[in-house]
Amino acid sequence: MTNYPVATVEEYGYKDYRVLQKIYKIFSIVAVLFIVFLLYISIIMLAIQSVNSSSDVLLFDTFTLKWYAQMFSTRSLTNAIKVTFVTSIVATSIATVLGTLIAVGIYSYEKKTRQKIMLLNNIPLLNADIVTGISLMFVFSLLLPIFPYIFGPTTLIMAHLFFTLPYVILSVLPKLKETDPNLMDAALDLGVGPYKALRKIIVPAIIAGIFSGMLLAFTMSIDDFVISYFTTGNGFDNLSVWVYASIGRKSLNPSVYAFSTLLTIMTLVIMFIYQSLMRRGKKHA
Amino acid sequence: MNKEFKLLAKPYIAWLFILAILPIFVMIGLSFMFSEGLSFEGSYFTFDQFSLLGEDSTLTAFGNSLMYASLTAAISLVLGYFVAYNVYKSNFKNKFMILTIFILPMWSNLLLRSEALANLLDENNIINDLLSRVGLGMEIGLRGTPAAVIIGLVLTYLPFMILPIYTALEKIDYSLEEAALDLGLTKMQKFWKVIFPLSLKGVATGTILVFLPSMSGFAIPEILGSGNILLIGNIIEQSFRNMDYNLGSLLSIFILIFILGSLYVVSKVDKEGETLL
Repeated sequence: MTNYPVATVEEYGYKDYRVLQKIYKIFSIVAVLFIVFLLYISIIMLAIQSVNSSSDVLLFDTFTLKWYAQMFSTRSLTNAIKVTFVTSIVATSIATVLGTLIAVGIYSYEKKTRQKIMLLNNIPLLNADIVTGISLMFVFSLLLPIFPYIFGPTTLIMAHLFFTLPYVILSVLPKLKETDPNLMDAALDLGVGPYKALRKIIVPAIIAGIFSGMLLAFTMSIDDFVISYFTTGNGFDNLSVWVYASIGRKSLNPSVYAFSTLLTIMTLVIMFIYQSLMRRGKKHA
Repeated sequence: MNKEFKLLAKPYIAWLFILAILPIFVMIGLSFMFSEGLSFEGSYFTFDQFSLLGEDSTLTAFGNSLMYASLTAAISLVLGYFVAYNVYKSNFKNKFMILTIFILPMWSNLLLRSEALANLLDENNIINDLLSRVGLGMEIGLRGTPAAVIIGLVLTYLPFMILPIYTALEKIDYSLEEAALDLGLTKMQKFWKVIFPLSLKGVATGTILVFLPSMSGFAIPEILGSGNILLIGNIIEQSFRNMDYNLGSLLSIFILIFILGSLYVVSKVDKEGETLL
């Protein structure tokens, strides 16, 4: 057998672009990693600022952990952290339960009506934060003659509920569509009441959607500034409102960088544990 | 699904009408009135606010808002599509990890992140301070410039562009790509004729999700622009802080027009809001 040389692309009259393709591939990997790095650059900055002993954020003095130690001794900061978590946890829990029920309700309408309701549901989602904030402030202000001290925890939690509900509904609805429509009928035929069937059959089938909706709701709630700014009152300030006021006074306590960094690290750890648990679960299954 | 469950959605529809629709009418009312805050006592019908619309500061703020938001959306679209497409093409199929990577930055406080970014863009920043000790110092002072605001807006809202585009790309049936290649399209043609049109849903949603908050936000321009750059959000915030609810309402209505437009687009391309997440 004779060894013929392998024909190259050029011999067929085409130009060989494979080198270029390889270069482009390497370029795109580097570029994507760089963009992801840019998304994290401010978090990295916060981490650096949190271990800087100088309270001047523009100069690095020496490495220190004192801001971490002082984190819970600054009263206004501790208070803001508490408010943030209480608001987000309460609002997210209510939004998750109600959102799931509402999604089931919306799903039981026929397609045309469902689309109309979804259009309405998208308003809080797409509306500018500032318009939502002002709108809610108007409605709450109209309630002032009846409830004079309404501004504070009640309004803040209601506002957060208002903009987190659509996220839960939006992530539960697609899962509802994936469930077998006969499941419900089968359950009813077997003599279960509709609400028991909902709890025992439908909820387990859509649990992934409920969970991701909850996560989204919490993400939006914990990071919200503008809506909270317009709807809170009586010193019930969450972290964002507190930070905004501190930046305005140019007196941001560096402990807040420590808190933020700690929160990021904790989130990373939780995500990592969750991920490895999922992987182990898959292996066993 | 059981018809009985329709009851579950009814209170929510009422809730949306009271908290989302009713205030819009209050806003429209307030923009034609002079009133002390929200009290209707002693308020009267006037077009005073409309004359303020023609003022230079308001017009500049409008222009700025549109320009900054369009630029941010355009830059985010290019970068976001690039990232989403490459992640989609890579062997990295762990959706949970992908979502986590892009959502995680949002878990840190937006204002703190902007402040940290502003510090980094300051002429003398920590990194520069550290680098200058090993003789690598360089001074780029962007804080307070339009570039800083754009960088801040893009870095904040880029994930909102990446995620819908990625979701849309992920839903494309691979056999369509195979068919395109079988029918003799080059890779470039396959992208422009098959993949890109099918991902438009995600592009539209992403663009809206970036454009709207960039246009109406006030914290990022204030922090990164050091107060030099005013967007429409800043003017609205100032008027509400000064208890001028009438001008604030009037300006909010202009933002609402953009939002209604976006709602219309979303309802056309994505009937049940599937790519909004």
